[in-house]
Amino acid sequence: MSDLLQYLITGLGGGCAFALVGSGMVVIHRVTRVVNFAQGSFAVLAALTTSTLLATGLPHGVAELLAVAVGAGAGLLVGLVAIGKPGTPPGASLIITLGLAVAAYAVEVLIWGDQPRSFAGVPGAVELAGARFQAHYLLIIGATVAVFVTLAILFARTDVGRALSACASNPYAAKVVGINVTRMGLLSFAVGGALGGLAGVLVTPIQLVTFDYDVTLIVGGFAAAILGGLVRPALTLAGGLLLGVAQALVAGYGNAAYQLEVALVLMLAAMIWQAARQPAAQREVA
Amino acid sequence: MTRWAPVAAVAALTLALPPLLSASHLAMYILLGLAAMVTVGLSLLMGYAGQVSLGQASFYAIGGYTAGLLSVHSLPPLLGLLAAPLVSAAFATVVGVPLLRLRGHHLAFATLAMQLILLSLLSQAEWAGGAIGLQGIPRLSVGGYEFADDLSYAYLVWAAVALTLLVARNVVASRPGRALRALATSETASAASGVPVGRYRLTVFALAAACAGLAGGIYAFYLGYLAPGSFPVLLSIEYVVMAVVGGLGTLWGALVGATAIVLLVQLLNTLGTQPGMPSYAPSVLSYAVYGLLLVLVVLFLPHGIVPAARDRLTRFRFRTRPTEPVAPEP
Amino acid sequence: MIEVRELTVRHGAAVALDRVDLTVAAGEMVALIGPNGAGKSTLADTLAGILRPAAGTVAVRGRLGYVPEGRQMFPDLTVDDNLRLGGWAIRNRTTAPVYDILPRLDPLRRRRAGSLSGGEQQMVAVGRALMARPEVLVVDELSLGLAPLVVADLARHLRELNTDGLAVLLVEQNARLALDLCGRGYVLEAGRVVATGTAADLAADPRVADAYLGAAR
Repeated sequence: MSDLLQYLITGLGGGCAFALVGSGMVVIHRVTRVVNFAQGSFAVLAALTTSTLLATGLPHGVAELLAVAVGAGAGLLVGLVAIGKPGTPPGASLIITLGLAVAAYAVEVLIWGDQPRSFAGVPGAVELAGARFQAHYLLIIGATVAVFVTLAILFARTDVGRALSACASNPYAAKVVGINVTRMGLLSFAVGGALGGLAGVLVTPIQLVTFDYDVTLIVGGFAAAILGGLVRPALTLAGGLLLGVAQALVAGYGNAAYQLEVALVLMLAAMIWQAARQPAAQREVA
Repeated sequence: MTRWAPVAAVAALTLALPPLLSASHLAMYILLGLAAMVTVGLSLLMGYAGQVSLGQASFYAIGGYTAGLLSVHSLPPLLGLLAAPLVSAAFATVVGVPLLRLRGHHLAFATLAMQLILLSLLSQAEWAGGAIGLQGIPRLSVGGYEFADDLSYAYLVWAAVALTLLVARNVVASRPGRALRALATSETASAASGVPVGRYRLTVFALAAACAGLAGGIYAFYLGYLAPGSFPVLLSIEYVVMAVVGGLGTLWGALVGATAIVLLVQLLNTLGTQPGMPSYAPSVLSYAVYGLLLVLVVLFLPHGIVPAARDRLTRFRFRTRPTEPVAPEP
Repeated sequence: MIEVRELTVRHGAAVALDRVDLTVAAGEMVALIGPNGAGKSTLADTLAGILRPAAGTVAVRGRLGYVPEGRQMFPDLTVDDNLRLGGWAIRNRTTAPVYDILPRLDPLRRRRAGSLSGGEQQMVAVGRALMARPEVLVVDELSLGLAPLVVADLARHLRELNTDGLAVLLVEQNARLALDLCGRGYVLEAGRVVATGTAADLAADPRVADAYLGAAR
């Protein structure tokens, strides 16, 4: 029983990372209709930045926050390139984000080399109902819940959040009421960058980060986001957690090598099921 | 017809080239030809069927492993070579039925997922050599002739590229091909037209897989060994870069794109292995260049090099030719 | 209020508006009629600042409220949120005055805009434009797809607003409706103004009557 609880907790921790990455993709997609392939790179960049900042003597907490800011900045940069030029269709923006993700590898290896890095998280271990796990997991789960609650409030209650939702709901009408859709798009990219960065910062203490860790995150994040139809943050959270737990269970009771397959198969199944439910013609944008 | 002159010229030139090339250039020639084959299929898929595939290297791998496995188990190598495109196409057909229901970014991720799953399975499959790979693939031999040196593979590749281009051109010019081109962008138009667009899309998907599979088969015999590590996701992205840079949906574009990228990679490798460069320099340079190329081409040359060049050429021609009167409609 | 001179707008390579002149003075209600594809919506979008002129000038004095063609709701948001977004440009969040002018919207506050009927959505669109506290209102295809009774109701609201001082540019395919409501009008065909004058003059003009008002008068 304690084994199961252990797997659940570690699964939830990993799942939170997916949920955060996925929610970043959702925010960006809601507002700009672009699927951001560079989402995982924000996480890696932030994680690597954190390790550097900590090494220069900056205290915990400050380093992490700065790194999240770096993630936001990277997001903004990606946004500028992907949607800054008026008239770029979402399909082209997708390929652009793919290109930027690949280029991000180069930047990461150039600055940080190709060795894996990690840094310490919340110290100590916690015991709960017989299961022992690192206290850091509590931070991950707590931070994730806080972020999602904040996002929900942001979108529903604040002016800016409503404007962001408006851009997602009907970009033309948003222009009609005077919302600068491009600026909102860039804002969503910055938020997506921050969310991705946060995922990277939270998850590194329990997971070695190399420059190609972003593939795992992006696949997991996309899987989580897909479950929310790429527009619903709440479902993205659920999807991410489900995915994380499924992976942990597979690793614990089955073969750890099949973790990635679990994510992929779940994602494929979700996508195909969704496509079957909704005929493509309905989703066509005139 | 003047249209055939450039084709014949390029064909003759590329056929005459192999004996004149040095050993390393010959190897590049072969790899370029193989990449061109994969890119032709991908360019068709992305340009005409409107599908983005980030997993084309999967079919390359399947073709290679098919040919390799069959020959390692003492079946005639020619059989392996012929089976390679067929098995790839079959795989694509099976996988394509659910996958091609997806559109745009969904399909992009699905093909990526497909490749990751395939690579993972290959790494675990002991019967295929596992992570270490398949060793000792015998040389390709047809009848009594054994393809023993690079020069023979160069000619083989030339023939395979020619075959691929011929088949692709016929598909493009056919009625289904034209229908697909017209309908690639609109689901509602497709549904209303009565054309079995889904079936055509699947056919193009399988065809692209076959192109990649044949290339993979030749690759297996040429190299003599295969490993999952030879078919990373980055390779699929490389093919996408080649197709996009050259020009989606144009056959010349696939050739130009493949050539441009292979030459560029070679240049980068030379640069990256200069004394004083760190060990990871070649990969950093290629990542940077792929990424930047993709971004720049999509932003500034959205249709790729070949269509942009064609545009320039057409405009030039129109300026120098006197305007002819338009005949009245009957 | 609105002064358009020699306005030319392009749609890619095609010319959507060709040297159009148009004015709307304070407190006026002006009609812009013409067939489908004439460029009426292009003109409306340009006045609202969504499209850029290729040549010519557009001068809008005072705040402009835009009721776009096809209602253009934010379908997943509530009516209240839709209205509130209307005030985005001037940071206006007070929806109460709009509910006063359009009391039929009051019971629909919390409803998803996407679930409303066409007439209700059109009313929300008008309310949303009013949130910008405009001095001139541009209404594009008010009557499209709506039942005559609903249109009459909306028209009545517009007339009241106009009497209270709001200038209105009514862009309409339904020429009879437009010329009944407005004092003056323009006829746009293939991007060009082909006729202009008082509503009575336009209605009496045989070309206009034939093309847009039906032979039987």
